[in-house]
Amino acid sequence: MNILICIKQVPDMESKFKINGEGNWYDRADLAWRMNEYDEYAVEQAVRLKEQVKDADLTVLCIGPDQVTETMKKALAMGCDRGVHIADADSYKREPIEIASMIAGFAKDKNFDVIFTGMQSQDRGSAQVGVMVAELLGIAAVTTIVGFAYDNGTINVKRELEGGSKALVTTTTPVVLTCQLGLNTPRYPTLPNIMKAKKKELLTLAADAGSVGSRQETAAFYFPEKKGGGIVLEGDAAELADKLIHLLKEKTGVLA
Amino acid sequence: MEFTREIYWNVGHGFTTLAPMYGLLLVALAVFALGFLKRIKVYRLGQPLDRTDQRGERIKHMLENVLLQTKVARVPGAGTAHSLFFWSFVVLFIGTTLIVAQADFTDLLFNVKFLKGTFYQLFSLTLDLAGLVAVVMLGALLTRRYLIRPEGLVTKTDDALMHGLLFAILLTGFLIEGARMAVTEMGTPLAGWSPVGLAVAKMLGGLDEAGLRSLHVGLWWLHLVLALGFIAVIPYSKFRHIVTTSANAFLADRGPTGKLTTVNLEDETIEKFGASELSDLRWKDIFDADACTLCKRCQDRCPAFNTGKPLSPMQLVNQIGEVAFANPQANLIETIGRDAIWACTTCRACQDICPASIEHVNKIIELRRNLVLMEGEFPGEEVMAAMEQTEVNGNPLGMGYASRGDWAEALGVKPLADDPEVDVLYFVGCYASFDKRNIAVAKSFVKLCQAAGVKIGILGKEEKCCGEPMRKMGNEYLYQTLAMETVELIKGYGVKKIVATCPHCFNTLNKDYRDFDFEVEVVPHAVFLEQLVASGQLALKPEAFACTYHDSCYLGRHNDIYDAPRALIRAAGGRISEMAQNRDQAFCCSAGGGRIMAEENIGERINVKRVEMAIATGVEQLLSNCPFCLTMFEDGVKGANAEEQLRPKDIAEILAERV
Repeated sequence: MNILICIKQVPDMESKFKINGEGNWYDRADLAWRMNEYDEYAVEQAVRLKEQVKDADLTVLCIGPDQVTETMKKALAMGCDRGVHIADADSYKREPIEIASMIAGFAKDKNFDVIFTGMQSQDRGSAQVGVMVAELLGIAAVTTIVGFAYDNGTINVKRELEGGSKALVTTTTPVVLTCQLGLNTPRYPTLPNIMKAKKKELLTLAADAGSVGSRQETAAFYFPEKKGGGIVLEGDAAELADKLIHLLKEKTGVLA
Repeated sequence: MEFTREIYWNVGHGFTTLAPMYGLLLVALAVFALGFLKRIKVYRLGQPLDRTDQRGERIKHMLENVLLQTKVARVPGAGTAHSLFFWSFVVLFIGTTLIVAQADFTDLLFNVKFLKGTFYQLFSLTLDLAGLVAVVMLGALLTRRYLIRPEGLVTKTDDALMHGLLFAILLTGFLIEGARMAVTEMGTPLAGWSPVGLAVAKMLGGLDEAGLRSLHVGLWWLHLVLALGFIAVIPYSKFRHIVTTSANAFLADRGPTGKLTTVNLEDETIEKFGASELSDLRWKDIFDADACTLCKRCQDRCPAFNTGKPLSPMQLVNQIGEVAFANPQANLIETIGRDAIWACTTCRACQDICPASIEHVNKIIELRRNLVLMEGEFPGEEVMAAMEQTEVNGNPLGMGYASRGDWAEALGVKPLADDPEVDVLYFVGCYASFDKRNIAVAKSFVKLCQAAGVKIGILGKEEKCCGEPMRKMGNEYLYQTLAMETVELIKGYGVKKIVATCPHCFNTLNKDYRDFDFEVEVVPHAVFLEQLVASGQLALKPEAFACTYHDSCYLGRHNDIYDAPRALIRAAGGRISEMAQNRDQAFCCSAGGGRIMAEENIGERINVKRVEMAIATGVEQLLSNCPFCLTMFEDGVKGANAEEQLRPKDIAEILAERV
């Protein structure tokens, strides 16, 4: 079984974000980096599938500047067999179709049975790359899976739909699956696997978006405007009541 | 008349006595040696470890511990009784040896007798009283074990054997003496020098001389067989502690206190980390089980055990022993149980009080290392998340690393990256950097340094977790990654002295980092401030207040720092009402051993229990010296519904209010 896992390196969401010089994305300074949360579910599910079928080869693919190989090492330590790094310092500017074209360009002649990826990235959050890869490769795609079972070529997944309802989908390979929170709990890599990961094949390819050019342009990039905020009132009960009445009178029409 | 007595009186000193006597002795010694040879084979199932260095120090430590009973006597009651019994038994042993020396050697070969005159009078009296003390202490211990039955005391057949045999030996000894005296010493001035023997002789007064003589000779042989049987049975019963516990004082860890072994992660031949089987442990870990006397002092003090968690340090040590001697292939982690392994706070209460020099904590860490490094297992998902947060942001709280130094911006304290010319580097730690309550402590410390004219700098966003909670949780890999980065960073700035407000940081930098070629002086804030106050560099305006003081495990038991913090509190005008469990007996706050990252899901909450102990002192302030303790106590006062009653504070805060 030939499996591809597409991952993205994203900033930790607790980081102090600043807008970059060009005003079209966040500044990279002072950020801590990690694997996109949803891609971790993808890696974990792929490793579990390999543990189930035994005979499988897991390729982890990541697009971005050289530092993304740090995140790829975690995927290798979790159990992926080889890594493919598509070197692209401008990946942050690319729109989903360009990223999907790069992935499809790599995958088209590799006969992957299953392609796992996150349902979206934590930073851009377009949720389009996975489905676009499937479309470009002409294979099926099932998005936002929260359950996965493989049995002799048949894949049963549970999809998360709006309003808390779920859908059960049966499909066969080849297929692209995009993973959602709740699918699994990603493992913590063991030390022998971390050591082994250091010696695994990690191929770097030049970025080639093919004929697909960018069609979108970021018009502006800004923090949400600060609107109001909470007030904590302090004092004893009588005092608090007075303050509250005063506020309600002054700022709202409740007591009018 | 000459004060002496005929040795071998009524028994005879000929071949018919000596041959069977020494024959039996040889048999006893052979059985004894064979027993230990068998056990040594089992000890050797463990990994090698050198515990024969620093021989002079080791011998001194052993003599102190064995002959002076220093550790045994730390616990009054049972400890006192054991010590007195031990000393009296030693006196009896020396007495018997002197008799053998005179009768079978000096007298037999050179016609020299020394058991006579005043020396014999004192000899007789001393032995007689030693026997009495031994009987009384044995009786006290027997009453404790079989009638009082303290909670948690494990009593086995071994204990009945020990009590029975020792009683029989002492009793037959007195009866032999009594029978001999009834025939030879009644009415002589010598009789008074054996008061207990005389009393027994009077009790035997109803017998005629022939009866006394046959009683005497019969009991003499019985006494001999019992005494030799005692020697033979040592390796096969709990009596073995006479040898193993004494030896363990020699083999004890020579420190630094609580320092763990640093795994060589560069060595690619190592395929297994930590311990899941007996053969992964070191021989000393197996020997420890043999040195354990089940005195339960560790269990009595263990914060996990005393709040209903499935960890008893005593049981854990003995489970390793059972596996070693009965089923060496068994999986240790399954035998001991994960909940027990994760429950330890590494507070060292067990190891500190142990009279048998057993090392409980490093065994638990080895088991954890196996779970974490080989299985990727943690006590809960929250701990795994904290590990991942530390990998990404350098702190287990998951805060963005770049804001680590934000708290200091308005105080005029700069990162070394901006200004490396400082008197001391303040290693802030994760909690004082990010946690609101502990930032207040960091600010107080800065205020004190500034008042004393000490220029401090921080590492700011370059600082990362020292790795202590991760290491204690078993994640040696993450710890070493953090340690090596921090060592390189600090050395790069040419820092001369480091102060930490967190005892976990202090202990780690000051002990653990020494394995990474790190030599910078590291001081905990309590000691640093105490020196400033004592030298007059930091002037305080004392203001009277009442408080209780909690010794954090890592300043207290791990580093023996008990007086400096108390001196500081007094210098600030504080009157300390000590909790019942203070200093080396202090009860942990629950957050050590990496437990700061874990939920406490089993049993009562340790921090609430400690807060209740503080409330019992009747004061309104609970002072400590550790951000983990402070965090747990802030939580504990809520758990104990005592937010109005007790305010937890760091010593630095109290001082900062008085400059």
